[in-house]
Amino acid sequence: MKDHSVDHTINLEHEQEQEQDSLHRILVPDVRDLPLTPPSAIESNFVSYFAPDFTKPGHDQYVYRHANGLCVIGLARTHVAFKDTSGITAVDFNVGKSDRSGIKVTGKRKKNAQHFESNSALCKVNTDDASYIVRCCVKGSLLEVNDRLIKQPGLLNSLIEKDTLLLSCQNQQIGSKSRGRYWALKSIRN
Amino acid sequence: MANANTNNTEAEHVSIDSEAAHVISAVEECHDDDDVGALHDVVQGLPSHAVKDLLSVGVCTRCILRLFGIRGNIYSISAISPSILNSVIGEQRHGEDISSNSKESEFEEVLCALCLGILQFTYCDDKEIPVKKESANDMAVAISELVKREGYQIDSFSLEVSVPPIILENEHSVRLYMKRKYGTEPWFQGGPFSQSISAKDALKFSLAKPLETLLDCKSGISNFRIGLTFSHKASKVVQSVAVSKQGCKRIKTGNSIDSLDDSVAGDIKCSDLADATVERSFDGLQDNESSECFKFPLQKVNDACHLVLLCQRTPIYFGGRYLKYSRNVSQTRWIIDDERMGEASVEEIIGSNIQPLCQGDNYKFHAAGREDIDVRMLGSGRPFLVEVQNAHRIPSEAFVREIETNINNLENKLVGVKNLKVVGIEGWTMMREGEAEKQYAALVWISRPLEDVDLDSISSLKDMQILQGTPIRVLHRRSPLQREKIIHWMKIERIGGSSQYFLLHLCTQAGTYIKEFVHGDLGRTHPSIGSILGCRAEILQLDVTDVKMDCFLTE
Repeated sequence: MKDHSVDHTINLEHEQEQEQDSLHRILVPDVRDLPLTPPSAIESNFVSYFAPDFTKPGHDQYVYRHANGLCVIGLARTHVAFKDTSGITAVDFNVGKSDRSGIKVTGKRKKNAQHFESNSALCKVNTDDASYIVRCCVKGSLLEVNDRLIKQPGLLNSLIEKDTLLLSCQNQQIGSKSRGRYWALKSIRN
Repeated sequence: MANANTNNTEAEHVSIDSEAAHVISAVEECHDDDDVGALHDVVQGLPSHAVKDLLSVGVCTRCILRLFGIRGNIYSISAISPSILNSVIGEQRHGEDISSNSKESEFEEVLCALCLGILQFTYCDDKEIPVKKESANDMAVAISELVKREGYQIDSFSLEVSVPPIILENEHSVRLYMKRKYGTEPWFQGGPFSQSISAKDALKFSLAKPLETLLDCKSGISNFRIGLTFSHKASKVVQSVAVSKQGCKRIKTGNSIDSLDDSVAGDIKCSDLADATVERSFDGLQDNESSECFKFPLQKVNDACHLVLLCQRTPIYFGGRYLKYSRNVSQTRWIIDDERMGEASVEEIIGSNIQPLCQGDNYKFHAAGREDIDVRMLGSGRPFLVEVQNAHRIPSEAFVREIETNINNLENKLVGVKNLKVVGIEGWTMMREGEAEKQYAALVWISRPLEDVDLDSISSLKDMQILQGTPIRVLHRRSPLQREKIIHWMKIERIGGSSQYFLLHLCTQAGTYIKEFVHGDLGRTHPSIGSILGCRAEILQLDVTDVKMDCFLTE
């Protein structure tokens, strides 16, 4: 007597195997289609702006703008602060009237976000010899700062993109009047 | 007291004639005779002087029957008319032809002061034309014709009736009056009046059986509702009489009855809830209310109620799992500035194939979670529900399988559907059941060659906790929060021919942002693949390979 339940189980397993195989075939890409070096997440999702000599010579900063209006602001690699042999030794967010690292923004409506002009001071970076003020570059509401830099200012020296000074700033104005007025905005794209 | 026997025969004769005079009766005669017999028995049992009193005040026959708490199918008998009651109260018609007389009395000219003509099947239709149906059956015919005209395919129905609040007010007045006048009499002690049937229920009793015959299905709990909403044009006051220290207190909860300004009053359509409120306020009434608190005798009305007939099916649900093969299809319709994002949407592809076959008014798409437009949904698929509103037809099982095949055979093969079937309300609870783990396959690139030790270091991490700040790409519309998520397991699969690309398979807690876990989102997600492997990591493609939920699985 044939055991139908065994047959049935075998059939089911076979079916599942087939499904897995066909799934796997869709998942694996054709290597020939893959670029040697793919674009980075920044390149794919942001428009990069370079602000050279912002308010002062040598103060080179970048702004990455996302399609949703948010901007990431940081020190460009050519910033004069990196020319000091000691590198950056401290980052202080307590500038102007308030400590930028202490602001707590909450909720979808981003309550408590402080409004900044393009020349508002965001923070101070210190080297052994000097101190440089980092400014906002764009008009908008400050949502968050990279407070890891307080404990680990050395991260900036590594020049790995993810650890450059980063402040997220919600901004609706970039690309409009701020563009021509203040500084030469250059879009850096491959 | 009248000679019951003689009048019985007369009345019977009258009723058979009236049956012949009215057309379109689907009820068999012998059946009808039984009911008529029952009707006579019932009528005999009523106290004649009370009945006469009520008739003189302008209360119609059915209202009298229901005030005395009579239940059942006798309300649908066309033979109900004052002449039946006449047999009880002993009034004789002199010299006139009985049949023509019965015809006259069938067409009661005067609207019942209590039910405003509702139980006399008299109303104004939506074109403001007065309609007088001669019997419950005729009214049932009008209703069934509407159902058929609108093309509903049904296997049951439920009747819902809504009446103007003044009817409850009238009823209360009548009951109080009767209590005062006949409260001491023996038949009243039994409390027939306390078991009065509401006008709504009486109308349902009248219409249920004829409708069952005409629509060829049972009445009861059903997803198909026939709603009869009666309203009265003149302004209505719902006077809830509450007990107070002084005695009778009047609280106006509507417009003044004196102002017949249509624009102010409009149609006050009360829902069942309003009825309950009115009834409750009447329950709290004391006996020693002064007579100013209710109007008696009842005000005569000249206009019939306005009737709105509405057929509606409660929403039906289609459950299943969908697959998304395209990286250019969003889950739901996505339009920014009049421009559609993506080529199509899962919602529209599935919904547009289901709704027309049900002849529904519109549809709603619900899914258990979502994926980005550029992420494919593969494997077992994602559970979803399509809610169709006011479906005129409910497709059979075979038809549903056909819908599934149609979607899967669409030329552009953007979306697939599995295990599609009609589900009840339990579909909702199945979808809502907790947050499921998800399994993914990501195409990852790293900035240095992959090494064997990397495969081990990744596989060895089990139930690893990560901290994700709200990704920048969604930060504009979500709260800035730090979210703790768990990566249950990971596995690297090498890709032949490449040293820096590989497939990362992983299983994570619901709500984990996979893309940000790979590239680190500028350090805002840690640990990340980049931080674990000590290099830069980028994600090129993402696919969902499993949504671990129990619902709508292949049986």
